[in-house]
Parts: sequence; C-alpha cells; structure tokens
Amino acid sequence: MTTTLTARRLTRDPVVISGVVTLLLWVVASFYSPAFASWGHIVTTLTVASFLGVIAIGQTLVIIAGGEGIDLSVGSAATLSAIVASRFMDGSNDGFLFAVLVALGSACVIGVVNGIGVLLFRVPPLVMTLGMIAVVAGFIRLYTGGRPEGSAAPLLNQLVTGDTVFGIPGVLWLWLALSVVVIWLLRRTAFGWRLYAVGANRTTAHLSGVNPSAIRFSAYVLSSLFAGVGGLLLLGYSQNVYTNLGADYMLNSVAAVVIGGTALIGGVGGYLGTIVGAILLTVLSALLRTMQIGGGEWGDAPRQILFGLVLIVVLTAYGRQRHLRA
Amino acid sequence: MDSPTFLRMSGVRKRYGGVTALDGADFEADSGTVHAVLGPNGSGKSTLLKVLTGVVGPDAGQVRLDGAPLRPRGPRDTLTAGISSVYQELSLVEDFTVLDNLVLGVEPSRFGLRDRRAALARSLPWLERFAPAFGGRVPVRERVSDLDPGERQVVEVCKALVRDPRVLVLDEATASLRRGQVEVLFEVVDELRARGVLILFITHRLAEIYAVCDRATVMRNGTDVATVAVAGTPEAELLELMSGRPSAAPSGTRGPGTPAVETPTEGPATAPDATAAKDQDTDPATSPRLEVRDLTGDRLHGVSLKVRAGEVLGLGGLQGQGQSELMAALFGAARRTGGTVLLDGTPVRARSPKQAVRAGFCYVPGNRGTQGLALGRPILENLALPSVGRRAFLGVGLSRRREVAAARAVAERVNTRYGSLNDPVSTLSGGNQQKIVVGKWFPTEPAVVLMDDPAKGIDVGAKAEMFDVVAELAASGAAVIVGSSDDRELVEVCDRVLVMFEGRVVDEVSGDRLTEDTLIASAMHVTGADVAAAREGHTSELPDPEPRHAEEGGA
Repeated sequence: MTTTLTARRLTRDPVVISGVVTLLLWVVASFYSPAFASWGHIVTTLTVASFLGVIAIGQTLVIIAGGEGIDLSVGSAATLSAIVASRFMDGSNDGFLFAVLVALGSACVIGVVNGIGVLLFRVPPLVMTLGMIAVVAGFIRLYTGGRPEGSAAPLLNQLVTGDTVFGIPGVLWLWLALSVVVIWLLRRTAFGWRLYAVGANRTTAHLSGVNPSAIRFSAYVLSSLFAGVGGLLLLGYSQNVYTNLGADYMLNSVAAVVIGGTALIGGVGGYLGTIVGAILLTVLSALLRTMQIGGGEWGDAPRQILFGLVLIVVLTAYGRQRHLRA
Repeated sequence: MDSPTFLRMSGVRKRYGGVTALDGADFEADSGTVHAVLGPNGSGKSTLLKVLTGVVGPDAGQVRLDGAPLRPRGPRDTLTAGISSVYQELSLVEDFTVLDNLVLGVEPSRFGLRDRRAALARSLPWLERFAPAFGGRVPVRERVSDLDPGERQVVEVCKALVRDPRVLVLDEATASLRRGQVEVLFEVVDELRARGVLILFITHRLAEIYAVCDRATVMRNGTDVATVAVAGTPEAELLELMSGRPSAAPSGTRGPGTPAVETPTEGPATAPDATAAKDQDTDPATSPRLEVRDLTGDRLHGVSLKVRAGEVLGLGGLQGQGQSELMAALFGAARRTGGTVLLDGTPVRARSPKQAVRAGFCYVPGNRGTQGLALGRPILENLALPSVGRRAFLGVGLSRRREVAAARAVAERVNTRYGSLNDPVSTLSGGNQQKIVVGKWFPTEPAVVLMDDPAKGIDVGAKAEMFDVVAELAASGAAVIVGSSDDRELVEVCDRVLVMFEGRVVDEVSGDRLTEDTLIASAMHVTGADVAAAREGHTSELPDPEPRHAEEGGA
C-alpha cells in the first residue's frame, strides 16, 4: 500500500520525470555516438550545464516567490558581472577579491532596481525585467564603448577549469556547493518556508505576519546575485568576455526551472528540479548537435525547432499529471 | 385584492448543501407599490430575491410575473422579463465611462454598429434626473473609476433604470449613499411607483422603510412570516415579527411600541443589574487587556471597546456593519485613520500584520482558502508560518525535528485529524483546515485573538471543537474577539456581544440578555436617531457622538 503510493508519487514527480527523460536522451545519444558514454564527455556536459544551473538558481527563487515572478534580466546580470570583473582583474590576480565583490555588487544593483520596480511601482515582473535588459545593455555599451577590455584573473580560470580528482573541474564542485546551500535555504530556513508561503498565497502569508514585499525583494536581489556568480564562472571558463555573453541564459534559465517542476504560478517546486532541468537542456542540445541535424544551408533552424518541440512535449506531460492529481 | 397579483412566488425552496436557505417561502407583491423585504441574517431574504432575479435556481417552487410563469435560467432571462436589480456589490466596469456602463449588454445598435446617439438618448434622462446626487454634474463621459463610492452606487441605480424595468430590486442599495443621494433616489422611487413599477426594497435601516415603503414582508428561517402594511404597523411589531417572539426581551420589560431607553454606558463596568454579571468582573479598577478608543478607518466611524484577559467578546449585528473591518484594522491589515489601541495599557500602533503579530495580536480571517491557508503547501509549513522565525537558529536555520514536534503539539491541541504533516493542507476537510488556521497561532502565545467568523462553513462537530479552541485561547489569558453572522454562535461562545451598525457600536448585550432574540432585535432596532448619527459620520469627518448603548429600560 505504502510502496505503491510512493511509486505512484514518484512517477508523477516532475523531478523524476525529467530525470528519466534526461537518461533516455543520454542513452539515445550514446547509440548515436559512443563517445557520449565516455567519462570525459559526461564531465564536459555537466560543466556546460553548470553555468545554466547557477544562473537559474535565482530564477528558481523568483518564480517560487510567485506574483507572476520571472527574471528575464539574469543574462544581463551575468554579462555585466563578467564584464566588470574582467576589467578589474585585467588578467592579474592582484585585487582578485575586490574585483569579485565589485562585479557581484554591480549585478545586485540590477536586482535592487528590479525589486523596486516590481514592488514599489507595481510594474509586472515580465515587463520590468525585460526592460532592464535594454537598460543594462545600454550601460554596458557606455562602460565598454562596445569593446569589453581585460580578461579573467588566472586564479578565477584555475578555480573554474582546474582539474581536481577524476578530471572533474572546479566549477562542478562550486555548483555542487551552491546547490547544497540553495536547497538548504529553501528547505531548512525560515526564509525558504516564507518564500514558498508567499508564492503559494501572498494574502495568507501577509496575514500570518510575513512581509511578502521583503521576501520578494530578496528573491530579485538574490536572482541577480547568483546570475552574477554565473557570469564570473563564465568569465573564468572562457577567459574573455563579449557583450552578449549571458544572452542565451534568459529563456533557458526559465526553461530549466519549469522543466524541473517549478510552477510559474509560484509556491511549488525547488532547486533539485532546476538542476535536472539544466542538465536535460544541455544534453538535448548536445544530442541535436551530435545528430548533425541542421547545418549546411538550413543553419541552426531545424535544431531549434526540435529543441522547442521536445520542451513542449515534456511540459505537456506535466500538465497532464497535474490534471490527474486534481 | 381582487385583481390578479402582479408578482407571485409560491413554495420556493432552496438548499445549499446541508443548509436550508428557503423552506417553502411564499411572496406576493403588486405593481405600483414599494415593497420591503425584512428579516435577520440568514432569514432567506437575499436568496428569495436571487431566485427572482435568476441568480439562483430554486429547488422547488413557482414564480409568476403578471400572470405568466417565469423560469429564468440566468439573470439575462429576468432582464428580458423586465426585472432589474441593484446590488450593494457593484457590477460596474471601472475603466468604462458611465455611459458605456449604463448600456452594457443592452447597447442599441444600427446596422450592426453601436449607436451612441441612441445610447445617449436612453441614458441621459436618468443621469439628468440624478444630477443632484452627482453634486449637480451629469457625468456621462466620466470614467467610473473617477467616481466616489456613493456616486458609483447611483450609477448602478441608473443602469437598472435604463433597462426600463417593471420590477426594480434595490438590495441594500442605500447603504453607501449620502443623505442627499438617498433623497433623490426616494423621489425617483415615488415616480416609478406612480408609473406602476414594483420596487422591492431591502434595507437594514428601519427608518427608510417607513420613509418610502407601502408594504413589508418579514422573513424568518427561510419562510415568510407575515406581510403587513407599513403605515399601520409600529416599529416594535416589525421587530417582534422578525425575532419571532411576542416581545423581543425575554423578561418582557419592553412592550410593543415602547421605545428602548437609550442610556449611554461605558464598558462592562456599568452593567447595572446583578444578573448581567454572568462571570464578569465588575470591578472598575481591573484594567482591560485590550482597549480600543474611538477607532476610525475604512467603514469604521469611531469604535470603542474593552476586553479583559480571558474574556470572549462577540461582534454582532447585521452582516457588513464594520465587524470585519474592525478586526482587520486592529491587526494592521486595514488602514486606521484615528483612535487609540491599548494592549495592557500600552499604546499599540501596528501598521502591518507583521507588527501586530510582534505586539501579540493574531487574526483568523473570514475566508480560510484565500486568506488563512497556503493550500498547496504542506500542513507542516502552514502550521509553522507565523512562528517559524522564533524557532529558527539565529533567525535562519530550521531543525526539521523541532518543526515537526511543534506542529504535532499544535495539531493535538486543536484536535486535527491528518494523514501526514507533509500532505498539502488542501487534503484536509473544511473543519480540519479551519483548525490549522487557528492552531498556527498557538506557538505565538497571542495576547489578543481576533476571529472573523471562525466557524463559517464547517460541520456541527467541528464547530463545537472550534468553540472549545476559542475557550482554550481565552483561558490562556488572551482577550478574544469573535465576529459572526450567526447569532446562535455568538450566544454560545461569547461572554458579551457588541452590536455594530454602520461602522459603530450601537448596543452591548451580556448576561441574561444575551439571547438570540435580543441580538436579532438589537441588530434590527436601529432608530431614526441612529441612522442620522451614522449618516452624519458618512458625510462629515466631525468627531463622532458617543456610541449609543440601548439598555433595557423599565424593569
């Protein structure tokens, strides 16, 4: 009785579903190209996923906090942080910590402005954070004159790409550490429980003595902060920056969160799902590239179409299971 | 009457789940009259009119209008039959102009296009007629969102009139109107009556019934009790019909036609006769746990009250007289514009629920689904929400074991039955959900407990358990305030009940007087002076006169 119940709950758990889909994609990919099954390829895929995973941390918090919460400016925050850090570091380890703090601080400013816009001036989060993309892009152009300067500190590069045991790069350990912290934050802190309550029912949270605005504001600031961390990791990985470094992460971070079972209405989900979502997206994209779909005269288009279709199929499966539960 | 009755409703029954709202009610009214429908909370008067307007489908019964059977499948059908209604809750589209609202759903058209000239021709006469109610303006092109609540209500009336009704239902339509606006409305009602329109009038202001109504039908317990000519019926008789006793006062001190003697009193300390001191500490030296002086705010016009530790104070009266607003204002969830709140003699000025909780207040809101629970979240988190910060290590880290222990302890105290604390709270029955809403406050050890209709929509067994919880909270030394639209509940649970009317306390009922009948009579017994005083408060922000406490006279 209990076991069947648990089994049923498991087959309906979005984290389990997307985990299974990821494995299936992996198996298919391995058939296609045996190299997929190699340890080195697994590590590479996870490394690529880690940047998305870290940038999507804040997206998870903002979406859980509800109120149509979404942060489309995470890519901008990542880019800004990387550009600022790159100029301050300028390929040297001197003042490393200072450069990191300035970079993360500038990313947080984006979150503060988002929070003020959404909570004080009641701008819809979608509009506010979309607008911020343009604002930040303008600032970056002013700041760099269109050509970002400098490069990552060797120390940062070492932290991100340096081998540790079994050929695992540092960035994966960092991702693991951040994941543990975020999952703890959501499940074992007063802030986490209040965040879920605010997302599930803001009025109830308010009437239970919680300040929903403070919670949501924190979520937006944390979102930019983690996006900024993601930007630093990207900088350490690629050593140089360009002005649309984080652009791809805007919608992919939302996709990773939603694939992981965090509902856009808020109050439901968690970071474990986002981790699986980030890996799924990365595997899928790698698979499509390996299958050499597209290319030639068609360019990227067929790959994008398939990518989109798989997303829709996975999300439709969630819609169905939510229906079954009701 | 020899002529066939214009409107005849017979044998109307309606049940909502286990509650009988209408139990074979009959109702007749003639065209060209203004007919009042009266009754206490839950008497079925609203349901009866909802059946007429097609908002509610009856389980049994017939409606005949002008000889023809009326079987509406929705409000649209009744509109075609010539029945228009004005409700207290506004049905206007805020972003539309007044004109667009007036013709919404009945827009005149020419060749399939909206004919604005025809729309104007239909609407303008009514708006012009009501110009004095708009301060002399004719706000055709103004947006509804720019109008004040009274003006919106007048627009609502015009909207009903543009539909050229044979039957006009005015359901508490005067509640948000100023005196001048009411006067214009009554003039129009007179004109409509002369034209043969039937006006059905629901109000909680008895004075208005005498001012404008020809006949009155009194409802009680889902059925019609009597229909009388208003002119020949003294106020006391109407009250008797409503409360269902030959005399409203059980001791028989208040005879028919004898107005209640109004004695200004101050708090429980002045309850004069020994019988009134049930378990009341009459020592004036005993300071109250909670004292409220002259609190004003949205729909509150100067409320003063005192509650001692361990006392359960009820807020009674008709629905929507400021009871909910009072509790929300005390909890910091609604704006306060004036007044003082003292907790154990210390002023409390909570501007948010968070501050109120910190000061020792807790609040059980009137709607548990939308205000009391995070339905999709686990029972554990719902129970922890108000107190989770207190148990957190350095205000941050939680121990799951400690959270579970705290939740179990609460669930046991309020006797909640649940499968697992990890189940969503939505899987519980209504009664058990409500116990979570109340129970979550236990760990905060509240000094003041505010409960807005805590037993609404739960079954009898759960209700009894809920009242035990209320008693337990009081026994722990809290000052408890319970609002309820169910007078029986108030009698059962409360030591003392304050009757509210239009944002102020008009009566205090305690001791032997605390019976259902007294509460009904007191809620309905609103004298002309009270209405005037209350309306004065609406129009001007002058300091309010002393609240009136109608005490038993004679004896």
